[in-house]
Amino acid sequence: MSSLRLENLDARVKLFMLLALSTSAVFFRSPKVLLPIFLFTLALVLAGGVSARDAFMRVRGALRLIASLFILQCLFNRSGAPLLRAFGATLITRGGIAAAAYVALRLLIVLLSALIVLTGQRRDYLLALTQLKAPYEIAFMVMAALHFLPLLREQARDVMNAAQMRGARIKKAPIVKRLRLYVTLSAPIVAGAVRKSEQTAVAMEARAFRAYPRRTSMRRLIMKKSDWAVFAAFAVLLAAVIAGGVIWSRAG
Amino acid sequence: MISIEKIAFSYPKAKKLIFKDFSAEFSPGEAVAVTGKNGCGKTTLVRLLTGIERPSAGRITIDGEDTAGMDLFEIGRLIGCVFQDPARQLFCRTVREEIRFGLENMGLSEDEIESKTAKWAEFFRLDGKLLESFPGTMSGGEKQRVVLAAVLAMGTRYVLLDEPTSSIDMRARRALGELLRDIAAEGRGVIFVSHERSFIESFATRELVLP
Repeated sequence: MSSLRLENLDARVKLFMLLALSTSAVFFRSPKVLLPIFLFTLALVLAGGVSARDAFMRVRGALRLIASLFILQCLFNRSGAPLLRAFGATLITRGGIAAAAYVALRLLIVLLSALIVLTGQRRDYLLALTQLKAPYEIAFMVMAALHFLPLLREQARDVMNAAQMRGARIKKAPIVKRLRLYVTLSAPIVAGAVRKSEQTAVAMEARAFRAYPRRTSMRRLIMKKSDWAVFAAFAVLLAAVIAGGVIWSRAG
Repeated sequence: MISIEKIAFSYPKAKKLIFKDFSAEFSPGEAVAVTGKNGCGKTTLVRLLTGIERPSAGRITIDGEDTAGMDLFEIGRLIGCVFQDPARQLFCRTVREEIRFGLENMGLSEDEIESKTAKWAEFFRLDGKLLESFPGTMSGGEKQRVVLAAVLAMGTRYVLLDEPTSSIDMRARRALGELLRDIAAEGRGVIFVSHERSFIESFATRELVLP
């Protein structure tokens, strides 16, 4: 049973699962279809060995954005029958709720499905991409970009802390001043990222990156029976989603 | 006085507690050198004192006020801090703006801001052309001097420095040491993390060795 944990699945299968689930999220606009896909993705992530706490911590940052989008859609989408009225004015409509649910569910599915590829070894995705015939440089760049994200977040946090430690009231400043401050603080973060990427490039060149036209690896990913089974299941899901989406759009 | 009372702390996902039942006090008028072997928690102590990290048990008070209820900017107006990597504390377009940033947030008048900027730029040899330079492209030592000028100009009641002499030359080191001694003599508190024995022996009034 342990082999069915996400971290034990072949990296290529996990990339395919991400593709199938995120495609499903994009293909459908109805919350009635997106809700089961969301529940399925959530169950898959939790059953696959990602703890509920870990999943929450990873998507936590985006939850505020999703909640804001939900509220904005509820308030400003005026389509459909009125659902909530106050002082003679319509506050929330059925169409507003549906649009809000659609946006929130779509984002949650994409976020949760991304958790699938965060399981297992990062190096496996490099192998997966090269075994899928992606150029090594491209595969390496994708992996390097994933590696850079936490560094970028750490740098952003340091700069914010430094500004606050010099008396800047970032959270309590008026919105215009806060925006101006964010613009000021974003410049060193971007400059730092560029500098870091240049340093990484020099370090890689110094260790003979691209010295030979073809790069080999001692280890190769091998698909197991369980990998093929999961791959087949998701291929069916993806085919069904695409067929369903086409039928839906023609009917609409 | 800064008082650390029986704090406990560990980083998320780390099994080992960095501090357990740890207590210490730092009084105004003294220059305390915090020392200890690598990984003992010197930089973590700096992060705890500045409110970037919060203890999981115990409390830290500054002049009797618990920092648990204070925002970073409120702590920043009491404790000026220079971190180990000065590059991560620089975010303005020029050295002048960098020094002015904290002074503006302290609510000083334009005249005071200008005179303090000129004074601290001169002290750390950042005046002239350097004052209008972009800090991001400066050398490590220059960056450290910019951060020192920007933080010390604020004139906070306590000054906290993590390895302040790691990148600066002998002349700036001596000037900084004498300055820290003067700040302590004024009745303000100085806490610095250092591995440099000669600097500690010359300028610290007390040494706190972390276990």
